[in-house]
Amino acid sequence: MLHRLESLESCNYNGMDVAVLERQAARLKWQQQNYVVQNNNLVELCASSMPQFQGLSGSNLGSGQMVQLKRPEVFLGSGDFQEFVNFPVAGAEFGDSEKLDLVPPEAAADYCISRTSSCQMTALNTSVMKEEREDMVLEKMESTTGSGRESFNKRKPEAVADHKGKNKRIKGEGESEVKTKCSTEISRNSSKENSKASEVQKLDYIHVRARRGQATDSHSLAERARREKISMKMKCLQDLVPGCNKITGKAGMLDEIINYVQSLQRQVEFLSMKIAALNSSVENLPMKEFPAYVANFPAAAKLPAMAGLPYFQLNPLQKESVNCMLNESMLPPQTATEGIASASVSISEQSLSSSSMTQLQPFSTWNMDPQCLYNMYNMGFH
Amino acid sequence: MEGCMKERKRVYPMEPWKIMQPSFAAKYVGYLVPALTNIGKRASPSVDRCIDTEKIVRYEIDMALALSAEGFAWSHALKHKLRPNVDNHNHAGKSQSYLAHDDDHRNTMPVNHEPATKKLKVDTKRSETEAAEEERLTYLRKLIPGGSGEMMVDDEILLIELGSYVSCLELQVNVLRSMLQFN
Repeated sequence: MLHRLESLESCNYNGMDVAVLERQAARLKWQQQNYVVQNNNLVELCASSMPQFQGLSGSNLGSGQMVQLKRPEVFLGSGDFQEFVNFPVAGAEFGDSEKLDLVPPEAAADYCISRTSSCQMTALNTSVMKEEREDMVLEKMESTTGSGRESFNKRKPEAVADHKGKNKRIKGEGESEVKTKCSTEISRNSSKENSKASEVQKLDYIHVRARRGQATDSHSLAERARREKISMKMKCLQDLVPGCNKITGKAGMLDEIINYVQSLQRQVEFLSMKIAALNSSVENLPMKEFPAYVANFPAAAKLPAMAGLPYFQLNPLQKESVNCMLNESMLPPQTATEGIASASVSISEQSLSSSSMTQLQPFSTWNMDPQCLYNMYNMGFH
Repeated sequence: MEGCMKERKRVYPMEPWKIMQPSFAAKYVGYLVPALTNIGKRASPSVDRCIDTEKIVRYEIDMALALSAEGFAWSHALKHKLRPNVDNHNHAGKSQSYLAHDDDHRNTMPVNHEPATKKLKVDTKRSETEAAEEERLTYLRKLIPGGSGEMMVDDEILLIELGSYVSCLELQVNVLRSMLQFN
């Protein structure tokens, strides 16, 4: 028993606190149901896990019980300090030979609580990065338990099951990581422990679950989070590119996107060539009326945003609006275009903010046939 | 799409291009029409005029796209590609170089997969499909202006920029079509 305590003390406490103490807490709770603890050992355990309690080191370590390592668990108590409060009582029930005159159990309890809570918080914040230490701790734990190794592994799932009932989120996260780590390291009772990883509750910061059979190192966790974000964005892109609803899989989606972008760019090129040809051959006067024409454009601009509307539907719309404009426009082109262009912006903004057809009120102020525009919008929305 | 927006905790929506869509058309036309008018006015009866006009028009079209869609990495990159030195004097020259650069890689899929990135080296479990995805992503980077730059190294940002670029391209095509229709 003494060698176990020494090996425990030699561990790096900063790193191992959570892992070791959690496991010990689990086992102590299990043990509390079958009382074997004695007072001496409790004191000794307190000393071993809390190096500050040096005054207790002189106590008797003779009675070798297998539970000494579990004693600090009660301080963790998975945040359940009721457990801890009960502990001094339980301690008092047992072994009466030694007196704890150096540090009263309550004070020890308080100190341990504060220490472990801080341990938990720090461990929580850096839990992901402490896997190496946990590995080492696990190995040491196995070596220290020695004969109790099998029992360690057997008891662990049950203790963990007990802890699951406690339901502290902070505790849960560390446990799940420890558990999954344990399974990957020890590769025993993996199914039970890993399935519990899925029950971990979410914390305030971004929490990625360690799924069954997957590694839990920080790289793969970050990678997984990144992949999920990317798949979410791919879904949004699916809405944007027409005809992608049936395609599953990232590669197929990317293919579609590539094709679509290429086709759009080719269209732009083709249209620009046509415009250039037009520009060189025709007078520029019609150019001034372009904004007027495009004033009817908000409907057309919205169309690509709606899925599945092919381009050819724009042509009847445009023709109708062109006719309307040519028939109704009586003002000089310049002012008409300015007025209509400015109105178009407000209308397009309004119509995009809400897709209802009641946005046609501003049309009445125009110099155009509102019925014509209403028809155009009807066609646009269907 | 609204589902995507709700899930995120950010203040601004996931698809910022939706905000600028209404004003895009107006801005675009507002820029392009005067520019085209100016081109017509700058008439020089030379033989090469057709080719130059094409390039100038193309330049103006792309410039209008870049100016109408402020706030995106690709529009920023496009603007810089078109106007590397702020001064606009040599339109023809710039448009030539710009178009020449584009035509080279526009229609060719890369035959060889580009040298393995860090990610592929580190994670040895990447399957063939993922390598194919990487290939497509690099090709997409070539398509989108500024895709190979330092702004879009991250895949997430690339996808967001892709979304805005695709929607702006659609709007641009619509505007150009309507302009031609009118004539």
